[in-house]
Amino acid sequence: MDDPVKRLLQRLIRRIPSQMLKITLDKWGRLTATQQRSMDFTQPKRVLTEKLLSIYEENEWTVKHVTELEMIYIMDNPNQGMWNAYQLMDPEDDSQSVNLMQFKEQFKSHLGEIVRHVSVKMKKHTDEAVWIRIAWGDGFSRSNHLKPTYVVHQLQTPYVFVTSLTSKQKPLLSQALILATRHQNIKDANLSGLKLTAIRELLMRQYQQVFPTKYHSPLTEKTQTVLNTQTEREQAESAANRCQMACEAFGDGMLPQLQSAVYKLETKFRDPANKTMTEREEPFRCVVKFASTNLLESLRQCASSGIASTPVTPLLSSIPLKGKNYFVVTDNGPGSSQK
Amino acid sequence: MSLLKPFSKLPGLNTANILLVESEEQFQQSLADALVEETAVSVYVRLAKSLPLPKENEESRPRLDLVVFIINMTSELSFHSAVASLKHLDPGYFLGKVCFMVTNARSASVPTERLDAVRKLVASLHCPLIFAEDQTPDGVTNATERLLTILKVAAGLVPMATALYLSNLTRCTVPPDIDQPSFD
Repeated sequence: MDDPVKRLLQRLIRRIPSQMLKITLDKWGRLTATQQRSMDFTQPKRVLTEKLLSIYEENEWTVKHVTELEMIYIMDNPNQGMWNAYQLMDPEDDSQSVNLMQFKEQFKSHLGEIVRHVSVKMKKHTDEAVWIRIAWGDGFSRSNHLKPTYVVHQLQTPYVFVTSLTSKQKPLLSQALILATRHQNIKDANLSGLKLTAIRELLMRQYQQVFPTKYHSPLTEKTQTVLNTQTEREQAESAANRCQMACEAFGDGMLPQLQSAVYKLETKFRDPANKTMTEREEPFRCVVKFASTNLLESLRQCASSGIASTPVTPLLSSIPLKGKNYFVVTDNGPGSSQK
Repeated sequence: MSLLKPFSKLPGLNTANILLVESEEQFQQSLADALVEETAVSVYVRLAKSLPLPKENEESRPRLDLVVFIINMTSELSFHSAVASLKHLDPGYFLGKVCFMVTNARSASVPTERLDAVRKLVASLHCPLIFAEDQTPDGVTNATERLLTILKVAAGLVPMATALYLSNLTRCTVPPDIDQPSFD
């Protein structure tokens, strides 16, 4: 296949699952009514791909159209690939008054100045967030549409979410972002996850939070199973306390799905039984990683069932509190590194 | 140290009280639901995660006829929690009013040393050891029936049988070659 755009389209169709294909194509709206009717979505993917490639020839779609389709698909299904969060620092005086048009123009012009052959596409989502698709090129080659970077930013918030960014591209993107949003600096927020919705909810605290209260009853009724009248729990109060503290640390109800938490330890080795290691001057370097399909839910269960002691240690409760899942622990206390 | 005493309160008429101690608080709930369905006797169930029991409930707590320690063999924590709770029982309980129930003993992840350790512990205390299966309703029913048999005797509701007599018949024993390496 010598046409790179055709190849891009083929790859994209292959990537979109069959159930989503009809919806995404309808949303895109670039098929005529007859073409739409001719698409039979019960057929295998291979057949649909052939059909779409022939329509591609018919309608003479360009790379612009195909990337538009890709963007629609990604915007509706953001929970794939690894997303990293960044935080904009030191806003200038007029950062609050940056509007969408201004941001778009500034970003495109700044990025265009720093990188040759970059292809930028921006779109506003229904929830007011700006989605940016960047296909990077350099002085020697055209933009590579097969490995685009996606950036999501809600104006007037300090957070930017990025996926598929290489370390070479990072400083270029950072520069364009801080100039366009009128900030002086951008730093790594030390939060990453597979689900964009989850990390966004965590940072913006869009999950149900629990505050310290003297009367625990609503929480106890919900979490503990209803027992018959002839059964009684002896330690119901301590169980309710544990549950309350677990929920205070991690939140109530559905929690944002994080997949891992990494602690990089740079503390001195401390074990009275092992003298040779304790006598060493340098810190004992070690990395501890917690992984789960829903990490916060697992940690909350650990605390409420008593496996993790309550009140919840700040090492664990900092995950939702600070909105980070990468920590560097030194002897002075848990902190987070600036990358 | 406040110990749980077996005979410090008066028994109720045609009632039996059982205490289920389980560190994981899972199996005890389904057991409780099955136990109270017994019609011949009124069974009252108390659930705890570990001993000692809170002092606040001292007044309202009835006389406990049987204390059952539920140990999940796949968890070392479960075993240690049960061992730590034993210290808070008055020795009077060990004359037939304590029973051990073990779940997941057939699981491949259970090291043989742990099962041996449980058997040795239970044999040294002269208590019965029941192996139960907690995942299916049949397993729960079977475990409930066996517990009810022991409970009725421990509550004094079976004529001509006492808890001490029954425990002598049903107590766990270890085979003399338990410390020999097994052929796996």
